[in-house]
Amino acid sequence: MVEAVAALQIQQLVELLAVVSSLPDEAAAVVGAAERAAQALEAEVAVVIIDRHIAAAVGFPAEEVPEEELFAIADRQLDKLSVPDVGDCYAIAAGWAGAHPGHLVLARYDEGFSVEETNLIRGMARLLELTLTMHRTLAAEHEMRQRSERQAAENAELLASLQQRQRLLEHLSGIQRAISLRQSLPEILESVTDATQDLLGDEIVALWLREPGDPDRVRLAAWRGMREEVARRLAPVPLTEAGVAGEAILADGLVTNQGQPSTLTVDLVPGRQTIAMAAPVRESGVVTGALLVASCEPQRQFGDADTQTLRAFAEHVSLALTDAKTVDQMRQAYHDSLTGLATRGLFLERLTQQLSLAAREGVGLALLFFDLDHFKEVNDTLGHAAGDQLLMTIAHRVKEQLRGSDVAARFGGDEFAAMLWDVGAPGDGFAAAVADRLLAAIEAPVPLGERAVRVTASIGIAYANVGETEPGPLMRRADLAMYRAKHGGRGRAEVSAED
Amino acid sequence: MSHELNTADRPRWMGVGRSAEQDSHAAAAAAARAAVVGADPKLVLVFAAITHDPAAVQEGIREVVGEVPVLGCTTHGEIGPGGPLDGSVTVAVIGGTGFTVTSAIAQQVSGRQREAGVELARAVNRADRRPYRALLMLTDGMIRDQETILRGCYSVLGASVPLFGGAAADGWRMTGTYVMADGKVLTDAVAAVMIESDAPLAVAVRHGWRRLGTPMIVTGSENGRVLTLDDRPALDVYLERLGAPADAYTDVNAFVDFALPRPIGVQRRSGVEARNVSTEIDLAGRTIGGGSSIDLGGLTWVMEGDEESILAATDAACRDVREALDGREPIGMLTFSCAALRAVLGDEGIRKEGAHLEEAAAGVPFAGFYTYGEIARVRGIDGFHNQTLVVLALT
Repeated sequence: MVEAVAALQIQQLVELLAVVSSLPDEAAAVVGAAERAAQALEAEVAVVIIDRHIAAAVGFPAEEVPEEELFAIADRQLDKLSVPDVGDCYAIAAGWAGAHPGHLVLARYDEGFSVEETNLIRGMARLLELTLTMHRTLAAEHEMRQRSERQAAENAELLASLQQRQRLLEHLSGIQRAISLRQSLPEILESVTDATQDLLGDEIVALWLREPGDPDRVRLAAWRGMREEVARRLAPVPLTEAGVAGEAILADGLVTNQGQPSTLTVDLVPGRQTIAMAAPVRESGVVTGALLVASCEPQRQFGDADTQTLRAFAEHVSLALTDAKTVDQMRQAYHDSLTGLATRGLFLERLTQQLSLAAREGVGLALLFFDLDHFKEVNDTLGHAAGDQLLMTIAHRVKEQLRGSDVAARFGGDEFAAMLWDVGAPGDGFAAAVADRLLAAIEAPVPLGERAVRVTASIGIAYANVGETEPGPLMRRADLAMYRAKHGGRGRAEVSAED
Repeated sequence: MSHELNTADRPRWMGVGRSAEQDSHAAAAAAARAAVVGADPKLVLVFAAITHDPAAVQEGIREVVGEVPVLGCTTHGEIGPGGPLDGSVTVAVIGGTGFTVTSAIAQQVSGRQREAGVELARAVNRADRRPYRALLMLTDGMIRDQETILRGCYSVLGASVPLFGGAAADGWRMTGTYVMADGKVLTDAVAAVMIESDAPLAVAVRHGWRRLGTPMIVTGSENGRVLTLDDRPALDVYLERLGAPADAYTDVNAFVDFALPRPIGVQRRSGVEARNVSTEIDLAGRTIGGGSSIDLGGLTWVMEGDEESILAATDAACRDVREALDGREPIGMLTFSCAALRAVLGDEGIRKEGAHLEEAAAGVPFAGFYTYGEIARVRGIDGFHNQTLVVLALT
């Protein structure tokens, strides 16, 4: 099956931020970050290097940290690390520049790092850098405050810095939650641009993404502070005309520009843009766009904290893009793309599991098979689009009639199945009552364009026998019962004669 | 009961002795006598039912072995040759010329888990060491966040030392478990011993749980508890997914009975980890949780296991540990299984588990207990588990 790998990674990233932000000082934060990174990647070794010093090292016996090798990995001269009594480990490093350049180095014994994991490590390095800058700002302010009694202004600054950190955490958690909850990609990207604007406080934020079929062009995927009518109608533009965002994509790095705004920018931005900065975003490791922030304030300059914040959000966009692809694959594997019901594969898996549970616990389980009578005629006379609409409506109505512990599936065409859990004994009539409700729900008119169509269904019901754990015979009985319902006049339910 | 092995041709040995006598002193002495099957005993491990007096148990052992380090704990059942027992004293002794053991105790561990781990690791980490090592730890089962104790150890020892052990149990009374070391009876404590050997050691861990259906996302969590799954009260989602009986929604005991054999699975890079949710129940708040945290945004699954899957995991853990030994025949194994597994297996099931262990051991002595948490760090930095079987093999 497809694992929701990216969702796991974004979870790890926010957890890392939560951990390092909650720690009281820089020293504790780097150790916390190293441990959390090692845990997430199941790595034996995690090291934080800052200003060419080992700030934290997890995985080596005390006093046996191989500094030279670690520096060589940070410099990309080595990609293996020998760990005592473990052996040669795959090693990887993600770095940051700025006033206090550093690296996060990880080493793992059993397997090299995938592209997604490399993204995750890069994101972790960014968040660590950002957190360390915040810690230093706080520490510096704290020191200043202690040195003098100019309390009021500095207290306010200290408070602002703390609030900034809290807001960053809240925003990143919000984005992570949006991804976890499988909100649509455009919604997630909107929330990223919102958060970037809120945190950096600049007028303009834009996310440019490469066109899937034409990677030399980019389109505006989400924006804030631009002329709506221009932004909305903007056709994809060549990378070379996309200003700072295009440069960041081509350079695969952060670009800042204080020069003359491009013609495109003049059209898009309602004021006179004075400075812009863009960071690349990636999908599965490949640069697929850029996150841009810009200001019309004449005095605006971007400091370390600003560039780091932008990079952190750009990493989140990267994870959201990668995740969207993974989720899509996962849903395709498990859910019918038209109706959202379980696929035959998922249904059989659940049925097999629930049958063994039912056998063990002595709980009644019933299987319903049904198809729509004369569905083909709807398809033939009203077209496939109407047929699809009909199936979606019916699927929705079926779900409404079931409980959380039941499972509904579309087996393909107009064939459906439902597994009913905890239905008592066959004589109790529970499953027959559910089938009657389903028949009534399905038979209600379905509006299709200007017409209303009425379809019926034929339902076959089979109860699992006591101790029955194989789905095959149960499905055969339900199928036969459905056949009898069809031949008995359609629009009705039949209980398997063998029950 | 004695389970001897021909040790004449080996420099190192392990022996296991068990006694079902009710008198703690006498039971411990009898078990210890049966377990000393070679010269130069180096370490005594004792697993005693909660019904025994841990002080008398240690005295009984001391009478037989003299000044050899004795570490042990109370249990929810003792494992060894002849099958699992309730109410016994089960003793394992290792000895011979190729071992060095260094033990230490950390006390008042709650609230300073990491510091305690660092303390223990420093105390047992000798400079002049034998080529193969493993750190064995026995913890008070009532200590929360035991993972952090392991983190403390790891920060000193690094990846080079496998960690192994278990959390003491109290026969499901949940009133207090005891750790035994140096003749003391301890709570809120961890006893650790570095076993150094001239020959390889191996650690393995396995669980026998299967994921059910589609994943659920932790949409709300606080203080290690899961508040919501897929945006609905976690407790209800969990029970619904498993088709729980009505009284599990409202009755604490019914919930415990239902949840004990059905852990929550937490997605990790290399697979799904089981988390017991039957110990800290919140019917009023509709949340779920256990002693270790399940984080926001995590992918979780309801899980189930049965006798077949759990016994398959037992076999797999034993197979893993033997494979890690590269064909060397073990001289003995320590086998720690989870107390919660007993709820799934029942008395008959744990007898089968014992039989599987016995078959896998193939004549090699083995001993262990049913724990409130298992420790096995082989890869990565995490090593505290729920509802698993962990095995340490010595050669």
